[in-house]
Amino acid sequence: MAGNASLYRWRAIKNAMALGLGSLATLFGLFWLVWILGITFLRGIDALKPALFTQMTPPPGADGGLANALFGSVLMSLMALAIGAPIGICAGTWLAEYARRGKLGETIRFLNDILLSAPSIVLGLFVYTLIVAQTRQFSAIAGAIALALLVIPVVVRTTDEMLRLVPSTMREAALSLGVPQWKMVLQILLRASRAGIVTGVLLALARISGETAPLLFTALNNQYWSADVTKPMASVPVVIFQFAMSPFESWHALAWAGAFVVTLFVLALSLISRFLLARSKVTHD
Amino acid sequence: MTDSAAASIAPATAASAPAQASAPQTPKIAVRGLDFYYHGFHALKGISLDIPTRQVTAIIGPSGCGKSTLLRVLNRIYAIYPKLEATGEVLLDGENILDPRYSLNRLRSKVGMVFQKPVPFPMSIYDNIAYGIRHHEKLGRAAMDARVERALRQAALWDEVKDKLKQNALGLSGGQQQRLCIARAIALKPEVLLLDEPTSALDPIATGRIEQLIEELKRDYTIVIVTHNMQQAARCSDHTAFMYLGELVEFDRTETIFTKPARQQTEDYITGRFG
Ligand SMILES: Nc1ncnc2c1ncn2[C@@H]1O[C@H](COP(=O)(O)OP(=O)(O)OP(=O)(O)O)[C@@H](O)[C@H]1O
Ligand SMILES: [Mg+2]
Repeated sequence: MAGNASLYRWRAIKNAMALGLGSLATLFGLFWLVWILGITFLRGIDALKPALFTQMTPPPGADGGLANALFGSVLMSLMALAIGAPIGICAGTWLAEYARRGKLGETIRFLNDILLSAPSIVLGLFVYTLIVAQTRQFSAIAGAIALALLVIPVVVRTTDEMLRLVPSTMREAALSLGVPQWKMVLQILLRASRAGIVTGVLLALARISGETAPLLFTALNNQYWSADVTKPMASVPVVIFQFAMSPFESWHALAWAGAFVVTLFVLALSLISRFLLARSKVTHD
Repeated sequence: MTDSAAASIAPATAASAPAQASAPQTPKIAVRGLDFYYHGFHALKGISLDIPTRQVTAIIGPSGCGKSTLLRVLNRIYAIYPKLEATGEVLLDGENILDPRYSLNRLRSKVGMVFQKPVPFPMSIYDNIAYGIRHHEKLGRAAMDARVERALRQAALWDEVKDKLKQNALGLSGGQQQRLCIARAIALKPEVLLLDEPTSALDPIATGRIEQLIEELKRDYTIVIVTHNMQQAARCSDHTAFMYLGELVEFDRTETIFTKPARQQTEDYITGRFG
């Protein structure tokens, strides 16, 4: 009995220690997040007004907003998703369902992981030599392609992993009805892992919305409103980069405001994807 | 299981077994010299048995003896994994289903399967049933509704779900999901129904309903059921196969297996002396 009591006390102590350390780590992480949000908000407060979304990037000293950059970011990100998500989903599905074992699948999975961790500036340079240097023209479409190259490995990886989570009994149940494999994959498996795959796409969007390097070499920048995808286009990260490096106060405020908006957007995306995943888990069992 | 439990089965079986004449009929499925290998591991060794038409055949035996493997050969579901190999013959109505020329589509529309763990598809209750039918037949709306209702009635699930056919099937209870899976399988009007421990995850009430269901289904279907539950085998099967370490030790009328088995091994297993 005495032994039990001391054992219990020791367990309670260990539990308290683990809990304490865990809470500290969480606080540590949250601290930086709050600090970043706070600082970007405070420094950008001068520019955080409706004009941010309606006016163009101004010349030095003048008033303005980030409308053209926000539009460019949204447009190029959407184009990148439109190009990258279908390719990524197809490739991930192929890896999980048709090449699960075997050399080819393993090799491609390995290469995809390398692409996943490749510095984005490398992808920017790649698209620069492949498209920009050939056409002698910086363009939004080149920017979108560079971003798509960042989207693809993320989506491939999540699709592959999410499909592997579907129990093999689900496949067997569908196939035992005489349904061919391609139908089973399209109509049952992709549906079963829909939430996870959408999450992957959202995470990819979160990843590209702050990317500067690939756009510097491809879409470059544009001080004016432009919806022409064959011409240079502004984007929030590049504008932040340009404005933050400048000596002008009003540009600094805009850069901080842009940073605040992007951080908030990425945070929201992460929260939404967490929520989606959590909900799908509940309905799964 | 204890001796007394096994003993209590015997009279029940004897009483409930219909005194039918065992007229020699052509079997629905005839397994001939079947060997099965998992990556070289010899899991089924020279199995031969006749599964009679419109009767319930139970497969029993200790864990790992190859019951599921045998069942999975009968609709060739094993073939979705690489490097698994079956040799010998499995004749369904006289045709060898192991022959690669035997179309999987045809085989699987004739031989339905229900798994140990219910796996509803991520769609509505209605679509779970209609999904397989749509693949094999083009039906109009009314005909499809009727088919879905019939399958759900046969699986004794209709009354519980008739008002929520459009709801997601994942919201059903475990026992309901299992009956849904049975309904899904019989909706295709198969000739043979394979059940791999269909009640092992269910409570006694749901188990009872499914056993009752099996009793009713055998009027139309040939049923093969794998079970760990000896009483279940005794209660709902006409024939029982006892397997051990990949071999078929004994195959006979259920009554015979449970009252006077020919082999010592069988007797030891059903009385709980090993396994
Ligand atoms: N995918 C597999 N790869 C390799 N060996 C396997 C595989 N599946 C089963 N086996 C082996 O084949 C043998 C028979 O397995 P099987 O699943 O048919 O047994 P079982 O009688 O259904 O057992 P249980 O009652 O536990 O379900 C076992 O020895 C098992 O380890
Ligand atoms: Mg088994």
